[in-house]
Amino acid sequence: MAAELLGLFSHADQALKAAGGLRDTGFQEISLMSPTPLHGVEQVLGRKTSAIKRFTFFGMLTGLLAGFLLAAGTATLYLLPTGGRPIIPIPPYLVISYEVGILFAVLATLFGFLVSARLPALRERHYTPETHIDRFGILVTCSSEQDAERARTIILAAGAEEIRQLEYLGKKSHEQ
Amino acid sequence: MRQLKKPTYAQVNDDIVRTLVETGPRYYLALGTALLVSIVLFFLPWYYQLRTGVGLAGMNQPNVWGSYLANFVFWIGLSHSGTLLSAVLHITQSPWRKAIYRSAEAMTLFALIIASLCLFVHLGRSWFLHWALPYPNQMELWPNFRSPLLFDVMAITAYLTGSSVFLYVGAIPDFAAVRDRVCGWRKNLYTLLSLGWRGTDMEWHRLGVAYTFLAVLIIPLAVSVHSVVSWDFAMSIVPGLHHTVFAPYFVVGAIYSGTAGIVTMMFLLRKYFSLESYITTTHFNNLGKLLLLLSLLWAYINMLEIFTGWYSGSSAQIETLNYKLFGYYAPLFWGMVLFCAIIPLALIVKKVRTSLITMLIISVLINIGMYIERLLILTTSLSRKYLPDYWGIYTPTLVEISIFIGSVALFICFFLVFVKIVPSVSMYEVKETLDTPDRRR
Repeated sequence: MAAELLGLFSHADQALKAAGGLRDTGFQEISLMSPTPLHGVEQVLGRKTSAIKRFTFFGMLTGLLAGFLLAAGTATLYLLPTGGRPIIPIPPYLVISYEVGILFAVLATLFGFLVSARLPALRERHYTPETHIDRFGILVTCSSEQDAERARTIILAAGAEEIRQLEYLGKKSHEQ
Repeated sequence: MRQLKKPTYAQVNDDIVRTLVETGPRYYLALGTALLVSIVLFFLPWYYQLRTGVGLAGMNQPNVWGSYLANFVFWIGLSHSGTLLSAVLHITQSPWRKAIYRSAEAMTLFALIIASLCLFVHLGRSWFLHWALPYPNQMELWPNFRSPLLFDVMAITAYLTGSSVFLYVGAIPDFAAVRDRVCGWRKNLYTLLSLGWRGTDMEWHRLGVAYTFLAVLIIPLAVSVHSVVSWDFAMSIVPGLHHTVFAPYFVVGAIYSGTAGIVTMMFLLRKYFSLESYITTTHFNNLGKLLLLLSLLWAYINMLEIFTGWYSGSSAQIETLNYKLFGYYAPLFWGMVLFCAIIPLALIVKKVRTSLITMLIISVLINIGMYIERLLILTTSLSRKYLPDYWGIYTPTLVEISIFIGSVALFICFFLVFVKIVPSVSMYEVKETLDTPDRRR
């Protein structure tokens, strides 16, 4: 029966050691919870990549285009020739394009962040308030009793202060 | 100097959550006073002007722009350093940024809101504000996107949105930390704001990536905003305003006044929320160095502006310049030079930079000087246009002075509410600067 184990540590390097041990033993769904971003987590749990940069890039492109089309399009909807100047002047419209480009890029980055970090959390997920203060937590999904026992041994060996067995809440949001 | 003991991780949470939940009578007194002043000196005079007409202000031919626009430029300028400085220091990975950036970003947000309000006041018939927005209407008329005023609308909208997103994304982990410590309506509020943040390695990674991207986007945006504001003036052909140097001149001035604003705010936060362990003399020392650099840059660009006018050989430019330096507004001009270029030179001495009260005084004087600068840009130029029979003098009326004072009170009001809702010091980033519990002792 699947279960989740939560190990709490008072030192970051103990938590990292436990995470490394679990990963080496073949556990796939491991989350490391900490009060600050942890340095060295990538060496232990592998390098992470995210799609946020693509959101930013395409947001910027869409914004640049939308800004220019807004200025140029509205100028052609109501033609107002002024002193022989062009109906669609490039330099001023580039300013509009630039501002709307950044606006869209910011909003797309926010959207990309929320999507890739799976926020807002739409279903219940395990967490512990101590990891927002001064503790470091390891949350690992175990598929069987034997797995849970192996994980418990590794977590305790790394120096966990406390270990909790939690109800399995479905497929966890563990992404690499 | 007394060396303060560094707090532990748990103390950081205790200290910062305390600033949110423990509210003394002094806070309510300050908030009540600020609210009352903003109603009496900002909203009531504005309402009076809406009812009576914009003629209540001292603006008239040739000075069709007056203190309302000076207020607008001043608040936009003050908004500048917060998010910009935070973004620059994030990218350069300066550790001293961590304790101060949250409040600085809030300053940006509220200063932008006040700046927009000042623009509505200047419009006179504020109920036609939507005419500046591009939306389909029955007259089939669209805003003129060739106008720098429309550049303003787009730039300020983008900057306000960008600053809000930057502030919010950076605060999500702190909202989660507060969520677990409070109860009642606060619990619901922070549960909503924290979006279910758990602080997993994946979430921290995504936050780091998104935050860096936002910082990179914010920097050119902030520079563009004040450049665009400068073009409101520089794209006219009024002598004294028609200078190509105006964009960097405005940007430097904005960062200068914004940094001085941060110093003032840091002083008050440190004093009234007992945050001595977090906002240290190192912060004031570093901000003092930055202010010194900016004062020299500001003085250089001012001299450049004067020399450009002087060497232009244009009689109109030279007349405007003479008027600025030796005319009716000369005492204001030399006062500005004293406050923004001479007094800040004292910051070269470390003792001045680390004396908090001196830093407070210098920062306030710089912002007084910067307000004068914004007023002078408009008054000295519009008062001396090409034709001598079209010359005039502008003096702000009581309504205009009152609205400026009221806008300061309104800003204080916003800020006082902010410090009770958003942790004013970033907990997780301050923890990064502390002795991490990552080595067994």
